[in-house]
Amino acid sequence: MTFFDTHALEFLVFLPVVAAVVILLVPAERPSVVLRIAWAAGALMLVGSLYVFVRYDYTQGGFQLVHQYRWLDQLGISLKLAVDGISTPMVLLTGVVIFAGTLVSWNIGQSHEGTGEHGGVPTTRQRNKDFFILLFLLVSGVFGTFVSVDLFFLFFFYELAVIPMYLLIGVWGSSSTFPTFSRTKEYSAMKLVLYLVGGSILAWVAILAIYVVSQAGTFDIEVLSEVSFDPGFQRTFFPFLLVGFGVLAGLWPFHTWSPDGHVAAPTAVSMLHAGVLMKLGAFGIIRVGMTLLPEGATTWMPVLFGVATVNVLYGAISAMHQQDLKYVVGYSSVSHMGYVLMGLATMEPIGVAGAVLQMFSHGVMTALFFALVGVVYDRAHLRDIGVLEGLAKRMGWTATFFVIVGLTSLGLPGLSGFVAELLVFIGAFRTQPVLAILGIVGAAVTAVYILRLLAKVFFGPVSPRWEGLPDAKPLEAFAASILTASIVFVGLYPLPFIRMINTGVKALLDRVSGA
Amino acid sequence: MPGMEWAWLIPALSFIAFALIVAFGRWLPGRGAFIAVLAIGAGFVLFWPVMVDLVRTGLPGEPGQYGFSWTWFPVGDTRLTWGMIVDPLSVLMLGIVTLVALGVQVYSLEYMRGEPRYGWYFAAHALFAASMLTLVLADNFILLYIVWELVGLCSYLLIGFWFERRSAAEAAKKAFVTTRIGDVGLLVGILLLFKVTGTFQMSAIFAEAAKLAAGEPSLLSSGTATAAAILIFVGAMGKSAQFPLHVWLPDAMEGPSPVSALIHAATMVVAGVFLVARAFPLFDAAPTAVLIVAVVGLITAVLAATMALVVTDLKRILAYSTVTDLGLMMLSLGAFGVTAAMFHLLAHAFAKAMLFLGAGSVMHGMHEPGDVDIRKAGGLWRRMPLTALTFGIGALALAGVPPLSGFFSKDEIFGALWSHRPAVFVLLFLVVAFLKAVYLSRAWLAVFSGPLKRENEHVHESPLAMTLPLLVMGALTLVLGFLAIGWTADYQGFGTFVFFHEAEAFHFNLGLAAVSVVVAVGGLAVAWATYVTGRISAASVQRRVAPLHRLVASKYYMDDLYQWVINKLVLAFSGLVAWFDRVVVNDGGVNGTAESVRSSGLRLRYHVSGKMYNYALGMALGAVAVILLWWLVAPV
Repeated sequence: MTFFDTHALEFLVFLPVVAAVVILLVPAERPSVVLRIAWAAGALMLVGSLYVFVRYDYTQGGFQLVHQYRWLDQLGISLKLAVDGISTPMVLLTGVVIFAGTLVSWNIGQSHEGTGEHGGVPTTRQRNKDFFILLFLLVSGVFGTFVSVDLFFLFFFYELAVIPMYLLIGVWGSSSTFPTFSRTKEYSAMKLVLYLVGGSILAWVAILAIYVVSQAGTFDIEVLSEVSFDPGFQRTFFPFLLVGFGVLAGLWPFHTWSPDGHVAAPTAVSMLHAGVLMKLGAFGIIRVGMTLLPEGATTWMPVLFGVATVNVLYGAISAMHQQDLKYVVGYSSVSHMGYVLMGLATMEPIGVAGAVLQMFSHGVMTALFFALVGVVYDRAHLRDIGVLEGLAKRMGWTATFFVIVGLTSLGLPGLSGFVAELLVFIGAFRTQPVLAILGIVGAAVTAVYILRLLAKVFFGPVSPRWEGLPDAKPLEAFAASILTASIVFVGLYPLPFIRMINTGVKALLDRVSGA
Repeated sequence: MPGMEWAWLIPALSFIAFALIVAFGRWLPGRGAFIAVLAIGAGFVLFWPVMVDLVRTGLPGEPGQYGFSWTWFPVGDTRLTWGMIVDPLSVLMLGIVTLVALGVQVYSLEYMRGEPRYGWYFAAHALFAASMLTLVLADNFILLYIVWELVGLCSYLLIGFWFERRSAAEAAKKAFVTTRIGDVGLLVGILLLFKVTGTFQMSAIFAEAAKLAAGEPSLLSSGTATAAAILIFVGAMGKSAQFPLHVWLPDAMEGPSPVSALIHAATMVVAGVFLVARAFPLFDAAPTAVLIVAVVGLITAVLAATMALVVTDLKRILAYSTVTDLGLMMLSLGAFGVTAAMFHLLAHAFAKAMLFLGAGSVMHGMHEPGDVDIRKAGGLWRRMPLTALTFGIGALALAGVPPLSGFFSKDEIFGALWSHRPAVFVLLFLVVAFLKAVYLSRAWLAVFSGPLKRENEHVHESPLAMTLPLLVMGALTLVLGFLAIGWTADYQGFGTFVFFHEAEAFHFNLGLAAVSVVVAVGGLAVAWATYVTGRISAASVQRRVAPLHRLVASKYYMDDLYQWVINKLVLAFSGLVAWFDRVVVNDGGVNGTAESVRSSGLRLRYHVSGKMYNYALGMALGAVAVILLWWLVAPV
């Protein structure tokens, strides 16, 4: 192993922290300097995650790029970083989304959202410095969760990824008022964090139980996965992990933090949150739940299958009725995360591989969605589907990207969503044909609400009100291009992803069948 | 000399053209339109050596076959592949698609001149052709489904090409949504077959189906085969605009006329017919499914033929005429007439492409961008003789007048029905044939014959780039019918080239032919009497059957029914779910939990009174409770 290989994962976990510290040292009056540092850090994270992706040897499988620091020997806690076939695509996803997210955050602190409150004196809202510090802390948590092979640090990073969200939404977010209801950003921020912390308490209970019952005296996941837990214990504690992590994955009926949170959050936070953080939930179910408690998983997966189907249909049908662009995307996330859960519930190689690929695909897709909604919102200052009309004529690039991401969402072949959902459907149909058919129907419902949205917002005659709307800036178009390129690449040539995921899924399911 | 192993290049060229125009079109002369035309032209040239090779390598009466596949990616215990099969069915479609697409694209060079997004138009055409060409070559169901969806996408993009028009945007959406509803069936059917047979490979699945049909032990059970065949047919119904999923096709007129020509003739709508023909070994093992195909096809044909009689927009008449013909193709498949259906597909493709291009030529000449009301036209043959001539050939061909191509194909369908289905099918088929003759001649007579209206004095013939494709397709329509007949010892007629089970040389049934000619000529005569001599008054007929006319003119209320379902059921239900999510789950469940925590905190705070005797009482009660508990559970 080269020096780079040994330290690649630490680089990813600590680079955001370093970037945050550097930004801390920049005077708040120099927002453009902050912005450039943020872009550079984002680019480095993308490069680092690409490096990890390329270096992972799928022919070997297992945990690679391992590096371990002793931390608290008495309790068996160590900072052990490694990636396997499931976490490597997630690392790449994080790199792609954070880079695009920093690019589209050029207007943080100078958009209409923050101006004119205190007579010219910059408030926190109008500074981008604090924003990027919190954002990078969050990203450090995300990378840390994906690459930790130690339960303690996995949980630590998991919390680190959630807490900054409160300030990011509460300070830089936006409140919305609708004819029948309104949601303040403070409400949404608090609901989101309370929900996720509530979920992590459940997960933490189970993690501690696993630690104590195993009597191995270690938090090392690799060691713990060798322990065979009593089936009764597994059946009791698997639901804790399923629901605890499931909350973050948008598991019905614990999903309501998600649409409200996405709507209130600023663009980059929505991108990161729907794109990456929701994947942390699903990843937690895989890494902790299915890996350590395989028999518990086998017992409870039929239940998850049913709930996942509800997720798919309920999210899609709710999305159909939303008037706010961000709510549509928010509910569509609930629906699409349903496919991830459905794939996991199959406990079958094709379905689980589909779930992991869907995690990547949905992450990139929804990030692109939110980036584009952000562009529209920044120009039009509203997100009402009923009012926006014919934007394609004025915002050609934005519309083009929006059509592409919409088609990804409805599962068009050639784009990443199709491959992932197809695999989920194949696996699901083998295990539970009826629920699988309902899932396929969900994809048709998705077509209805996506095409309705495209037709209303982007097509038709452009109304006089939107005549002067400027298109996406080159910077935003560049960010969108990166995300689009990922979508098209996976859609046409998923082999590099699939063969990597295959090794991870095989190891996972071998443990299940061996139990 | 290239042969069958080059067939993959035919779609590949158009895929490349799509990518090139999207990437570099804006910097190229003519926005890169010529790349698309060159690609499809090269595809048409390549089609010939492929076909010659196919015919040459086969035994007489049993053409050769060539296939290959490579792994897309392995997953779990299976692998997804991209592969192609070159056999008579796919080669026939290659010829149709490349030639029609070539004609349409050449025509569009002139027709679309000056449009914004000129390059994009040709890019979408290239993708459309490429997807359709891959669809006909696909050797497994996954690849088929992939390009099947891409075909749907291209129709969406091209129908909505003028997206600034609200009606175009809505029509594009309607087409995509309707076909996707059918695609749910197709995908479920594919997954069902995979679950049972463990493969997506068509040849393997059809081998199992053949075993089942022959009564040998097979992985497929009769019930599974029937279910899968019906589900696949549901997909075909969406694409091929079969009742009750036909509603998108008439609205698809919102696209530019050449797009309609392509969609109606060679791509999109014939994909469904092709799919059923391709999967016919499966249908053969499921007689119930075949009967359903026949019934749906018949209903479609009858309904569409009546609707074509009452509409007055030229392109809409043609659209319903397409639906009629698609119904007839399905009907033919439903009578085990694979050869007849494919021959009708061939004959219809060129005739219908020509009719739509002719309609475009009329619109071009009249400077009517959207559609032409046939009541506003009239006498145009003086101004545009070439268009009138070719339109007339197309109309007569589809009306089934000998010796044009449509006569032969209609005759084959008639024959298939005669030998496989009861009399009621035959009877209704003849009614449809009669109505076809009436409405097609009505369209021609109303537009081209009679006196020229004053406001149409300015009308002019279209330029050569537009009339040339018309003339080529007109010539083909004149002669293609004779392909049905065997001319040499090596070629015993179309039935020995494309067939199911056994090759069948052409045989002419004089009785059937006579009946079909009488019906067609009768239709022409009725139209002549109505629209030229005025011996029959359309208005009085209309009055006499007023309720029926209203029913047909309202499109059998199908659009209204769907609109009602969408508004009153689907949207209402989604509103209910959205309300439930916000009010019950969120405000009740989530906020309610928070609220109850808060209010219980408010109440419970009173126990922190600061008064010593309260605390003492609490302690005493607690102690008593503990003792009681201990006493209850303690071992005696």
